[in-house]
Amino acid sequence: MPADPTRRVVLAASAALPLLVAGCRGTQVLGTPPQPSAAVRHLRAAIAAEQSMVARYQRVLALLADGRAADGGGPAARATLAGLLAEHQDHLRQLRSRLIPGSPQAAGAGPLPVPSVTGVPTAPRQAISYLGAAEQAASDRLLGEVLQVPPSLAQLFASISASEATHVPVLAATEVTQ
Amino acid sequence: MSATGQSGRAGRASRADDAGRAGRADDAGRASRADGRRLSHADVGALQAALAAEQAAAYGYGVVGSHLSGTQAESATADWVTHQAAADKLDGLLAAGGATGGPAGVAYQLPGAVHTAAQAAALAATLEDQVTSAYLDVVARGSRDLRMLGAQQARAAALRAARWRGTTVAFPGLPAIGH
Repeated sequence: MPADPTRRVVLAASAALPLLVAGCRGTQVLGTPPQPSAAVRHLRAAIAAEQSMVARYQRVLALLADGRAADGGGPAARATLAGLLAEHQDHLRQLRSRLIPGSPQAAGAGPLPVPSVTGVPTAPRQAISYLGAAEQAASDRLLGEVLQVPPSLAQLFASISASEATHVPVLAATEVTQ
Repeated sequence: MSATGQSGRAGRASRADDAGRAGRADDAGRASRADGRRLSHADVGALQAALAAEQAAAYGYGVVGSHLSGTQAESATADWVTHQAAADKLDGLLAAGGATGGPAGVAYQLPGAVHTAAQAAALAATLEDQVTSAYLDVVARGSRDLRMLGAQQARAAALRAARWRGTTVAFPGLPAIGH
């Protein structure tokens, strides 16, 4: 993981990407990867999107925890959100691991942007609906990205897209009353 | 809903992986063709594996449904129909590409004994995990044309897995990353 965000980074196109599904036999099945700079750009966008999801959950959890909301969040809702947040942190860690620092091929990589999250509702019920909508949008966006990146990264994007989609019904079923 | 209904197409006993390998069309270095669209050997292999997973799921939901009642049984029936349709679609893709998927097995090895509703739901989740993995293999191994199909179907299977299991995971279909 790049400790120094200004260091150059490159996509770990094949060396660090185990093909995790049975039947894959090696790097020859990866085909010709796109230009590293394009793949890195899409990967960095995915990392930024995950950072935003993490920031949204942290914002909503803080809202539920500090009692600002009149109807409260409830410990069960907070536990549910904490579990989903942990999965996003796993996504983020895995996506970041696909960037290799120090490569000369990652021109223009630069530091990753700091996520800015705005428009989070202050009422718990609306805040949780907001998270559900954000999850669906993030899932759809990543699904669309599978054609833009090399196959093994497309596989990871597809899995994360699936994970985010599964969060939507969980959030829809989350009760926010104490 | 009946497992024997779908498995009746088969003329021989087969495990899921046998069904996946059966009927590989090309023995030379050629790729299959259909309507000007090529199916590479990797495409054929990945689609056949996905078909085998769908057929195994369709068989398994027959067992799942027989241990459930009420809305759970209705869900199992709906999911069984979904897997049958998906298997038909994959069959069609393979046939259009000049390959075959192989017949569904008469019976499949289930991952565990099923005697209770909870075990039936757990089996359904496991079947969906296997379908998710198979479609993610299509994403990784298949040509660009097949990638979106693989990703969409993986997402749909992951949603069903989460519904049956009642919990979510960070990397559906990629268990090696999650641990």
